[in-house]
Amino acid sequence: MSDNAEANSHAGFDSIDHQPAYIYTPDTSTDDAPERPTKRRRVTKPKQPGIQTHGKPSLLRFEPLLGGLESEESARWRQETFQKCWGFGRLAKQEQSILDESNEDTLAEVSSFVNSSRENWGDERLPACFIVTGPNIASQDLLFRQVSVRLKSDIDGPVVILRSGDAANLKAILKKLIRDATNQRSDDDDMLAELNDRKLLYYDLEILRSFVTAHGSQRVVVAIQDSEGFETNLLVELIILLRSWMDRIPFVLLFGIATSVELFRERLPRSASRSLYGAQVDVEQTNSIIERVFQKAVASSKAYLRLGPALVSMLVERQHHHIPSVQSFIAALKYAYMSHFYGNPLSFLGNTSSNSLEYIGQLQPCHYEAIRMLPSFRRSVVERIEVRDINGARELLEDDAILAQNIKTELHSKDGKILCLLRALHILESATTDGPGGIDLYLTVFGGALKDSDFFRRLLDSLERMTPEDLISLTEKIRAAIKHGNSAMDLDGWAEADQEFLQDIKLIETKVKTLTATAVEKGVPIRSSESIHSKGLRTTVIAQRVQLSYQKSTISEAEKEYQGLVGRLLELFEEYFTLENPQHLFLNEVWLCNSTTPFADVFVPRPRAAIEHALSSPQEYLSGIDQNLPPTQPETAILYQKYLEAPSLINVADLWSSFLETVAGGEAEESDERGPLMQFYRGMADLNLLGMVKQSKKKADHLAKVSWKGL
Amino acid sequence: MLLNINVNVHFQIRAAPCRNVVLYGLEATGKSSISKALLGQLSPADETTSDSEDQLRHAIINSTECVSGRHLLEKTVAEVANIVGWQGKIGRCENLAQLVVELGKMLDRWTTLDDHDTGGKRLALVFDGIDRQREAPPTLLPALARLGEIIPNITVIYIVTSPRPNFLHLPGVPHIHFPAYTKPELLQIISLTEPTPQLPTGKHDTKEVWSRFSTAVYESLSKHSDRDIISFRRVCSRLWPRFIQPILDGSLSPTPFSRLLVANRSLFQNDAVLVPSIISSLPTPSTKSNIQTQIQSQAQTQGLTAQLPHTSRLLLLAAYLASFNPPRTDIIHFMKSATLRRKKKGGGTALTSKTPGVSKNRKISRKLLGPQAFVVERMLAIFHYLREDASVPRKQEGRRRDGMERREDVIGSADLYMAIATLSSLRLLVKLGAANAGDALDGSSRYRVAVGWDVVRSLGRSVGVEVEDYLAD
Repeated sequence: MSDNAEANSHAGFDSIDHQPAYIYTPDTSTDDAPERPTKRRRVTKPKQPGIQTHGKPSLLRFEPLLGGLESEESARWRQETFQKCWGFGRLAKQEQSILDESNEDTLAEVSSFVNSSRENWGDERLPACFIVTGPNIASQDLLFRQVSVRLKSDIDGPVVILRSGDAANLKAILKKLIRDATNQRSDDDDMLAELNDRKLLYYDLEILRSFVTAHGSQRVVVAIQDSEGFETNLLVELIILLRSWMDRIPFVLLFGIATSVELFRERLPRSASRSLYGAQVDVEQTNSIIERVFQKAVASSKAYLRLGPALVSMLVERQHHHIPSVQSFIAALKYAYMSHFYGNPLSFLGNTSSNSLEYIGQLQPCHYEAIRMLPSFRRSVVERIEVRDINGARELLEDDAILAQNIKTELHSKDGKILCLLRALHILESATTDGPGGIDLYLTVFGGALKDSDFFRRLLDSLERMTPEDLISLTEKIRAAIKHGNSAMDLDGWAEADQEFLQDIKLIETKVKTLTATAVEKGVPIRSSESIHSKGLRTTVIAQRVQLSYQKSTISEAEKEYQGLVGRLLELFEEYFTLENPQHLFLNEVWLCNSTTPFADVFVPRPRAAIEHALSSPQEYLSGIDQNLPPTQPETAILYQKYLEAPSLINVADLWSSFLETVAGGEAEESDERGPLMQFYRGMADLNLLGMVKQSKKKADHLAKVSWKGL
Repeated sequence: MLLNINVNVHFQIRAAPCRNVVLYGLEATGKSSISKALLGQLSPADETTSDSEDQLRHAIINSTECVSGRHLLEKTVAEVANIVGWQGKIGRCENLAQLVVELGKMLDRWTTLDDHDTGGKRLALVFDGIDRQREAPPTLLPALARLGEIIPNITVIYIVTSPRPNFLHLPGVPHIHFPAYTKPELLQIISLTEPTPQLPTGKHDTKEVWSRFSTAVYESLSKHSDRDIISFRRVCSRLWPRFIQPILDGSLSPTPFSRLLVANRSLFQNDAVLVPSIISSLPTPSTKSNIQTQIQSQAQTQGLTAQLPHTSRLLLLAAYLASFNPPRTDIIHFMKSATLRRKKKGGGTALTSKTPGVSKNRKISRKLLGPQAFVVERMLAIFHYLREDASVPRKQEGRRRDGMERREDVIGSADLYMAIATLSSLRLLVKLGAANAGDALDGSSRYRVAVGWDVVRSLGRSVGVEVEDYLAD
C-alpha cells in the first residue's frame, strides 16, 4: 500500500518539470484556456481500482518452487500450513502477552509509588520515580504508554509524557506539558487560559494550577521518557521550576533511565538533585523476557517448527553482541517461519497434527526427487547399507510407494522423539541449579551433544560425590518435574509415559532413605564415594618426630550398598539421557529450520561494506568490465580507487590529471578533455554524496578524505 | 538580628519612604522568609481593622517561577492588580514601558480610592531572586529601580545573592546584608525543629538528644562542607533515624549521650550523606542501610556494564581511547606490528625516550585536559583493533565454533552504526557542534566520550581488555 502511495504522490509532477529545455506546443483546445494549474502536492487519488483489485491477493501468494515443477496446490498447502503455524498472529499474540506481563510488576510499582508519593515524602522536594529500563531505548516507548494508561486509570489527575524530541527549550516543554495535561479533560481550555480576564502566557503554569484546582486533581504526573536525551540544562531548569510550584501543583516526576541512576545523578548539578527525592524501579531485563519468549515459541511442545542450534545460537549471539531487543527477536522468529515455509518445498509435511498425511499421498514426482536429495535421506540409506539391508536401501531409492510409507512412519515417530528431547531438557533444567540456562541447554540438546557436553559430565561426576541427602532431593526434584511438566513449554506431566524410569528412581530413593535412617540410628554417617576413596593422611608426633602415614579408610556395608545404588542411578541417567541427534533424523529438514544464510543478510545489512566493495571491484557487479582495464569501469569506481591511494588531504588537480591519464589512456589531447572532465565531475559528485570527501578547510584546492575502507 | 532588620526595613519603607531596597546575602540566610514575614506583619490582613492612616500592601514575585522576562512583567501586573483590588481590564504587559503604565494606573486608582486619604498608602514590590531571572531584558533592573521616580508610593525590594556594585545604575540605594549564620545561631535554629521519629521516652529527652546530636553533626560533617541551614537540616534529619535506632531497639538509653555517640561513630565518619541522594532509602532505615546504599551504587555501575551489549562496550572503550589518546600515538598503540612495543607499557616511551626538552611543551597530562573530540572513523578503527583483542564472553565460548561472528560480518554492518547512534542518544557519547549539523553517522562528525575512567576500566575488564595498555601517558 505504501508503494501505491509513493507512486501516487508523484502523479502531480509533470515529466517536463525538470527538463532544462523543451519544445513548447501551444494548447489547441481554446475552450478553457485560463484554467488554474493543478496543485502540485496533495494530489491524492483515493481510489485506484485498477491496482487494488488485483494487487492484494496476488502479493501474498507463495510461488511454486523446484524450478516451477511444484504444483500450485502444494504451494498453497505450504501457505496454509504457514498460516496455521504462525496462526495469524497466534504466536505473535502470545509474545505480546508475555511482554505485557513482564511490565506488569513495573507498572504496579510505579503506580503504588505515585499513589504513596504524597504521604511519604511530604517535604518540599519533588517526588521522582526512576524507571531503569536498560539500554534498549526502543522498549521505552511501549513501557511509557503502558504506564500512562495504567496511571490514568489508577490516579486522579493528568499524566503527561515528555520526549526529548518533542521540545528543544523550556517554553516549548511547558507548552506541551500544559496542553497535554489540560486536554485530558477538555471542557473549557479557553477559560483556563484566562485568569481575572487576563490572557495568560502559553507557558504559564498558572493555567495548570487553575486546571488542577478546578478538577481537584490529586497528582500531576510528568513522565520524562528518555531522560538521557534531554539537555542537562533544560532538565535542570524544568526540575527547579516544577519544584517552585510544588506548593500549588502536586507534581510527581517519572524518569525513564537507560543507563543508571548514578550516572543520571552525576549529570545533574547539586541544586537540581537536591530537589528530587524518590525511588528506583527496575524493569525486567530483556534477556529474561527473551528467555520466556524462547520457551513459549521455540522450546514449546506445541511449536510446529523447530529451530536448529546454529540458527538459535546466531540469534542469541546477535542479541548479546548488539542491542538486545525482544521485538527484533520476535521478528527474527517470524522470519524463520516465513522463510522456511516459503523456501522449503517439503515444509508442508511437517505439520503432523493436521491432514499432512493426506498430503503424502499426493506428493508429486518432483517431491520424491527432492526428498532423495536430502542429506538426511542419504544418511538413512547409508545406515541401511551398513546394516546390510541392501534391498531396503534399493527400494528406498527406486520405489516411490515405499518411500512414501517410510515418510509416513518417520513423520509419525518424529513428534515422540522431539517430545523426548524436550522432556529431557525440562528434567535437566529443573533438577540442576548450576547448569546453563534454558537457551544454552536447548542448544546442547538439539545439537545432539548432550552426552558429551561438559555440563552432563559434571552432573554425573557430582552424582558420585553426593551425600545421601542431596541425592534424595535430586531424585525428588526429578520426580516432581516428570509429574508436573512445564506450563511455560506447554509440557504436560508424563508420569504414565515414563513409568519404568520413574519406578526405578523411586526404588533407589526409598532404598537410600532406609539406608540413611538406619545410619542415623547407628550414628555412623554414610559417606559418599568421593570421601571414601580419598586417602587420609595421618600425622603422628612421636618423640618430637613427625611421622606421616597413609591410611586407607574402610568402607562399611551400608556405604557399599549406597555406592551400588549410586552406580545404578548413573546407569539409569546414562540410559535416559541418551538422545538422538535431531539433525540425524530422517526428514529433519522438513521440521527443523537451521539455515543461517538468509538471516545474516536480512537482519544485519552491511550497507557501507557493500558500497565500498562495489566501488573497489565493480567487475563483480557489472558485466563487460575488465579489472585490468580501468577505463571500462564507471567513473566513480575509478575515482574511488584513486581516492583509496590518496593521503588524507587530496589535491584536486592531481586527482584530475591522474583520472584523465586513466580514462584517456595517456594519449589525451586538448580537444577531448571535455568528456572526461564531465565524468570527473560526476564521479566527484557521487563521492561527495556518499559522504566520502568534503571541502578541506586547511587548503582551498584540496579535498579532505573522510572515510577509510574496511571500517 | 531579626529585630535589627525589622527596624531597618521598617525604617526604610515607612519613616522616610525609600524607593529601592536591596537585600543580599548567601543562600539560605533567611532573606525571603524574613522579608515575607515582616511584610506580612506590616500589612494588615484586611483593611477595616487597620487603624493607622498609612496602609502597606506587598506583592512578592518569585523569579524562579518566571520562565521569561515577559512572564515576570505579566506576573507582576497580575499580582499587583490582585493586591490593590483592581477591577478593570488589564492590558497586555510586553515590556517595561507598559509595566510602568499599568502599575501607574492601578496605584493611582488605589491611592485615590478613599477621599480622606492622606497619601500614606504604599506598595512594596518584592522581586525574589531577580538576579537569576531567565531571559531578562538588559534594562530590567535599572528600569525597575526608576519605577519609584515615576510612580509615587512604591517601594521595590530586590532579593539577590551577591549584587554587583551599582547594579541598579542608581546611587544611594540602601543595601541590607544578611550574613551567614554563625554556629550558635545554626544550632539554635536547628533545635527548634522537631525531629521525627520521636524518642519513646518523651519529648524532653528527644529535645535534649536532638540538640546534642545536631552539635555533633555540625562538628563532624557540616562544619566543613554543608554550612547553610538547609543542608545542615537535611543531613541532620537524614542521620537522625539511624542515630536513634539503638534507642528504639532498646539496646541503649538516651542518657549518657557519649555512649550513643560512640555506638554510632561510623555515621559521622562517612561523608557520603553530604551528597544529596535522589533515591530514598524509605523512611524505615536500619543501621545497615548505609552499607546497603553503597552496595546498591556499586551494583548500579556494574549494572550499566552488564546491560550494555558487547559491541557497545567495545565501542565505548574505543571512544574513550580516541578521546584521551593523541592521534599521533595511534600508530604506536594500534599498528599490527607494534604489539611488542605496546606491551612495554604505553607509548610514553616514544615521547620520553627523546630529549627531555621535548616534553616541555605539554606538561599537563592528557587525562586532566578532559576528553578531546575525535572523528567517527578513528573510533571505528580502534574498535576493530580492540575487537580482536577482546576475549569472547565466557558464556559464549561453548557456541563459538558454529555461531562466532567473523570479522568481516561486523565491518560496515548496520548494527555497528546502530550501536553508535544508541550510545550517542544515551549521551555516553556526545556529538559536538550544532545538534542538527550533518548526519550523526557521517564519517567526519566529531564526538567526545562522556564516561569517566572508572566506568571505562570496569567495562574493559568485563570484555577482557586492559585499557591501561592502550592509554598514552
